Amino acid sequence: MTKIKKMFKYDNVGILFVLPAFLYMIVFVGYPIIYNFILSFQDVTVKTLRKDIKEFIGFRNYIELFQQDNVLTLSLWNTLVFTVACIVFQFIIGFALALLFNKKFSFSKPVRGLLMMPWMIPITITGLIFKFMFSTDVGIINYFLRSFGIISENIDWLTNTVTAMPAVIFANIWIGIPFNMILIATGLTTIPAEIYESASIDGAGKIQAFWNITVPLLRPTIESVLILGFIYTFKVYDLVYVMTSGGPVNATQVLSTYSYKLSFEMFKYSKGAAVANILFIILFFVSLLYLKYVYTEEEA
Amino acid sequence: MHSDVKPSNKTNILYCTISLVVLCILLFPLYWILVTSLKTEQEIFQIPPTFWPEVLNLKSYLAQLENGDFNMFRSFGNSLIISLGAMMISIILAVPASYGIAKYDFKGKRSIIFGFLITQMLPVSVLLTPLFIMFKNFNIYNTFWATIFADATIGIPFSILILKNYFASIPKELEEAAYIDGCNRFTAFIKVLIPIAKPGVAVCGVFSFLYAWGDLAYGMTFIIDQQKRPITAGIFNFMGQYGTKWSYLTAFAVVTIIPVALIFILMQKYIISGMTSGAVKG
Repeated sequence: MTKIKKMFKYDNVGILFVLPAFLYMIVFVGYPIIYNFILSFQDVTVKTLRKDIKEFIGFRNYIELFQQDNVLTLSLWNTLVFTVACIVFQFIIGFALALLFNKKFSFSKPVRGLLMMPWMIPITITGLIFKFMFSTDVGIINYFLRSFGIISENIDWLTNTVTAMPAVIFANIWIGIPFNMILIATGLTTIPAEIYESASIDGAGKIQAFWNITVPLLRPTIESVLILGFIYTFKVYDLVYVMTSGGPVNATQVLSTYSYKLSFEMFKYSKGAAVANILFIILFFVSLLYLKYVYTEEEA
Repeated sequence: MHSDVKPSNKTNILYCTISLVVLCILLFPLYWILVTSLKTEQEIFQIPPTFWPEVLNLKSYLAQLENGDFNMFRSFGNSLIISLGAMMISIILAVPASYGIAKYDFKGKRSIIFGFLITQMLPVSVLLTPLFIMFKNFNIYNTFWATIFADATIGIPFSILILKNYFASIPKELEEAAYIDGCNRFTAFIKVLIPIAKPGVAVCGVFSFLYAWGDLAYGMTFIIDQQKRPITAGIFNFMGQYGTKWSYLTAFAVVTIIPVALIFILMQKYIISGMTSGAVKG
């Protein structure tokens, strides 16, 4: 018996189970992150890629990106606009749907299940679908807007610098709604019905109950949905790349697409790495905030 | 919220109607590409558009059987190989790792969990350039392996964080009983714990597969031969060359969605549990 008890005691056998996965992640994630930092302080282009010794140039890539290249600041701004706009809409719509599906009615479960579909579709395909729907002549969106008399001329959604960003945001909201809905719906089920019953006995209306009971009790869920939404939206890549590739004239250029463009279209690997690093650093701090938040919630 | 209050007939009908309207609006894009893929190129450009094909046209699908510029079925097969490969690696590595984390205390455990959590939030852009250079040096650039290795980095941390909760919820007594029956730690893990954690392993398998299936960046960057590229990269390439051949493009889209839809129908319960536990708990 003592031997068996000992098997559960503090010991280092557990690490043998973890080691293979840990080493894998060191090789394919940990090392590349460090390598990416090193790259961003070097001057590696397609010409110097095969050289054994690469020149170290300090912060020059970053300085050049911030001072001479207004595409970087534009991409940073675009990423922020994209993220905030997406989160606001997908959160509000997701919340409304979660409230709806929290009611008990015959179709509640199956319909809620089907609504998860948009989240599962490969993003390349979502990009293709919306590129088709937003296209100028065949696009169904222009057709609807014309039939309702909202516009009289077709809009060049994806090739116009003003409308491209709203179109891409629209597509991303479609992806994000199920995610927000399901997490908020799960949070809602944790609020006991008795609280609402006693509130209604005390004469609270539905709107009062929403603001005074639902929102405060749901706060942990709301906060983690918003921070996670920020992280997932801020690193957007596929959708923008498929729909506009960052164009027209950088109107939808976000950090990830700009990094890709520098590395794999202009073959300035170090510059691309530097932009990716800026994205990484921002997300790293937001993730820290999120993790700190989740852990303090769990301990409380 | 009001879940145990049974609604009257009238409100039931009202909620059902609202939910069906929402469903039609939100799933319209999917309906629309399915319908479009069954139309002729001519009918697609017709104004006003038809909401059901006048002539049912399967040519967009059948044309793929003849060898064109982009062979959809080969790309589909490539995607299957890559996604199954990434799934296998994720499961083989994540199952023991999550057991180790759930059941043992060891030095550095907290920082390892923290590391897995952070990688889940990593943007692909950070890994693209360094992995590209690494894979070139390893001589696996432009092979399935490059994409499989990269795709598995998304599945592994996700799977570990999900499965760790599964293993943690298995009572110690079960393991102790196995030791008394003469198992050692490894045989107990394989004979007793893995079978109990099966539903969790299924969730991880599904998600690791889907992450890899939906990937574009890695497939496009690490594989340059059109013949070896996954279907997402193939479609993207086709869009660049024949941007407005919507009859073909929508057919490609439908074919790419088929496995996702099948998994979704068969494993809906697992998917929703994976989404909620994976996302909120991190």
